[in-house]
Amino acid sequence: MRFLLHVLLIAVISAYAEWIWAWWMIAVVAFMVMGFTRAKPAESFLSGFLGVGLSWLCIALWRDSANAHVLSGRMAGVFNLPGYPWFIAVTALIGALVGGLSALTASYVRRIV
Amino acid sequence: MRVLRAIVFVILTIILVWVLDKTLGSLPAIGRLLDPVQGCLANAEPVNYDFSQNIKCASLQHPVTVWLDSRMVPHIHATNDYDVYYIEGYIHAIFRLWQMDMETRAAAGRVSEVIGSKGFNYDRLQRRKGMVYAAENSLKAIEADPRAKLMLDAYSAGINSYIATLRYRTLPLEYKLMGFTPEPWTNLKSALLLKYMADDLTGYTEDIPLTYLRDMLPAATFKALYPEKIQDSKPVIPMGTVFAPPSLTALPQPNDSVWSHFKASDFAQPRDEGKGSNNWVLSGSRTQSGAAILCNDPHLGINLPSLWFEVQLQAPGMNVYGVSLPGAPGVVIGFNDSITWGFTNNYRDVKDFYEVHRVTGGKDKYWFAGKQLGFDNRVERIKIKDKPDYVDTVRYTIQGPVLYDENYHGPGGLQKPLAMCWMAHRATSELLSIYLLNRATNYTEFVDAIMHFECPAQNMAYADRAGNIALWGQGQFVNKWKEQGRYIMNGADSAGLWKELIPMRENPHALNPGQGYLASANQSVTDSTYPYYYNGTFYEFRAWRINQVLDTMHKATVQDMFALQNDTYSILAANMLPVMLANISFVNDKYTQKLKNWNCRLEAESKAATIFQVWWNYLYAGLWEEHFKNVPDNLWPLPERTMQLIQSREINSYCGKGNGIGTFEEVVQLSYQKTTDSLKKLEATTGLEWYKVKNTSIKHLTKLPAFSVPGLKIGGWGNVVNAAKSDHAPSWRMVVQMGKEIEAYAVYPGGQSGNPGSQYYADFVNNWVSGKYYRLQFFANTAQQAADKAKFTINFNPQ
Repeated sequence: MRFLLHVLLIAVISAYAEWIWAWWMIAVVAFMVMGFTRAKPAESFLSGFLGVGLSWLCIALWRDSANAHVLSGRMAGVFNLPGYPWFIAVTALIGALVGGLSALTASYVRRIV
Repeated sequence: MRVLRAIVFVILTIILVWVLDKTLGSLPAIGRLLDPVQGCLANAEPVNYDFSQNIKCASLQHPVTVWLDSRMVPHIHATNDYDVYYIEGYIHAIFRLWQMDMETRAAAGRVSEVIGSKGFNYDRLQRRKGMVYAAENSLKAIEADPRAKLMLDAYSAGINSYIATLRYRTLPLEYKLMGFTPEPWTNLKSALLLKYMADDLTGYTEDIPLTYLRDMLPAATFKALYPEKIQDSKPVIPMGTVFAPPSLTALPQPNDSVWSHFKASDFAQPRDEGKGSNNWVLSGSRTQSGAAILCNDPHLGINLPSLWFEVQLQAPGMNVYGVSLPGAPGVVIGFNDSITWGFTNNYRDVKDFYEVHRVTGGKDKYWFAGKQLGFDNRVERIKIKDKPDYVDTVRYTIQGPVLYDENYHGPGGLQKPLAMCWMAHRATSELLSIYLLNRATNYTEFVDAIMHFECPAQNMAYADRAGNIALWGQGQFVNKWKEQGRYIMNGADSAGLWKELIPMRENPHALNPGQGYLASANQSVTDSTYPYYYNGTFYEFRAWRINQVLDTMHKATVQDMFALQNDTYSILAANMLPVMLANISFVNDKYTQKLKNWNCRLEAESKAATIFQVWWNYLYAGLWEEHFKNVPDNLWPLPERTMQLIQSREINSYCGKGNGIGTFEEVVQLSYQKTTDSLKKLEATTGLEWYKVKNTSIKHLTKLPAFSVPGLKIGGWGNVVNAAKSDHAPSWRMVVQMGKEIEAYAVYPGGQSGNPGSQYYADFVNNWVSGKYYRLQFFANTAQQAADKAKFTINFNPQ
């Protein structure tokens, strides 16, 4: 339950913070949320990974479906990916990795303070 | 241990974020780009996006309404001149900002600033050509006229008003990919864009190779192979047109010391058959409706975003529709409620070269008319991304900038310093011409308007609702002595300088000729009765074909005009194929069978078209390659001239052992052998269909394949009316019938939006390929429009 709450908090707050500031707020938000709680490193990583990953995946899917894949198809070509779903997947994965690493770092930092 | 681990992970996280936020070489900042909130996905325009909105603009004077029709063509309705150009700038920026930015950077030689050192050589050439110098000169002329100044001030303010609204999220996609941001627009940028067009259209020159050829060949041979005017030309201004007596006296040709002479050096000047255009006008006597019809299709580099942007502008005293150049105000080609006009490139030579003789020992002086003159130096600082600036000093003589010298070699290592005198350097105000053209209501006002159009010189076709048709070979020209500027001149001799300007009203023109039509397709401008000397680079095939069709057309409809603009009949093939086949009459294979049943049309799926084109290329090379192997590459006699030499059998004197090649018959046979070898390879790879072989593609300005549209199934070639080559093609096909109601049709290879994430990015391409047209929505100049006409409405209000 607590895990789901973390995922949800990271997803919602990071999306909002990105809108206001910049994309790297995902790292800040994942760090802050997991820094205020006591979670095992693996759980922390997964919270950040899923939180940001789901948030990026949902926003990407929402924008992409409204756009009928026009942009994602072309961007897939730019990165030599076989098709638009790959571009969406890579997008979500990059966000997830940053979120996960930052959340993991938070749990390590939390252990020394 | 724990502390160390924590520190390591903090550092790792920071590094990951930093790397993803940083542009690495030509790689974009991946994190920033992929962020679905602010990155590239923010440019994914919803397909049902509602463009209707209310926008407040700081310096707008009165409310302006913009109706967007279903093809996203804006119809701008303003109550004064300032507002209409302000909003045109704003709208251009909404749809095409990055393109405008890049094209003006390209004009100014500022590409390296954003793409790094791979743009350096290009930038340096632009600086040495004096592009910024030219734009600065023109800007002075533009701003000296209150109308043109208002037009440009308003336009720039409109663009800047849009730029001020931008944040990273709303930046055009290409800025995110390339990692830079737009800078404020200036009037100079628009002037640069106009010079960019002038360079595209008048930059090509054969002066350097011709100088060498003239010295190499016997005079009679040179004249036979490189005639100034090709025989049987159907000139732009019809034969027999009576020209007014010249107001300036013809100048005598100076003695030989005025020329510069070159020895064998290899000057690679690629001959470019592609930059052509067609326009023609039919008077009511030749149309079914009885109304005049104007057709125009300028052939330019085809790119995405397209060079053109369709727009309608309305203000008191002006209701004009047509294509504009994003980056400059007004409508360049189009029609208003009284007249219509269209352009093709005129190709008279307005760029001459002079060999500079520097004073020995004195690096900063050169000889001119027996005196030592000092160079004017212009310091060009080229900024290069991630590298220190490069400073180049460009020297200017009395003629113009020294383009090549020992620090910047000409093509093929040319080391002689050459100064360039170019009409585009002069303070000209084509913008004022556009301003007046857009408002002209009759022939007199049209003529008054084009008197300000100095460079690039254009063949300007005209038709109006009163039924008049006209064609002008318009531009600013110099009263030259015979052959002045055809070859490189001696810069120290004052006789080579450009002197008097020909009054522009004496430019060749025709109004309502007896033949009932007028046509231009980059052919010679006049017959030899025109009193002033000129030379140029003229092409005849398309003109021959257009005249052939129009001569026999008496009840023309707009559909006939569509068909002619999309015509792929090859005059070259029609004349050469019988001769070529006759010389291999013993061959009867699948290729010759196809050729014998061919209609001489370069249609998309025609295999015979490919066979002929390949064969002709081998034959053409077989005839001239050996003759000119040490000479300015590619400046072989024109295919038009070659065809005539073959028809008249004069070609025989250029063939045979004495010329290092076989007899004409043997050359044809050898070329056919090479052809069959090539065709077999093609069959095994791409296939023989003509469109597959020529591969017409519309490339994005960055050349990114993912943003481009390759391999279009379109016929044509540079020497047929539908001049669709691989990257040059009809950039705007327009047909306007000036009846009681104006009927206008057009299409261009692109789309209104410059955003690769928009459904309007390339949505006209398929219709352009298949030769289909859109009926243009010409709105009445009123504050209200019928609800079904406008898909979206944008209301602009002053703050």
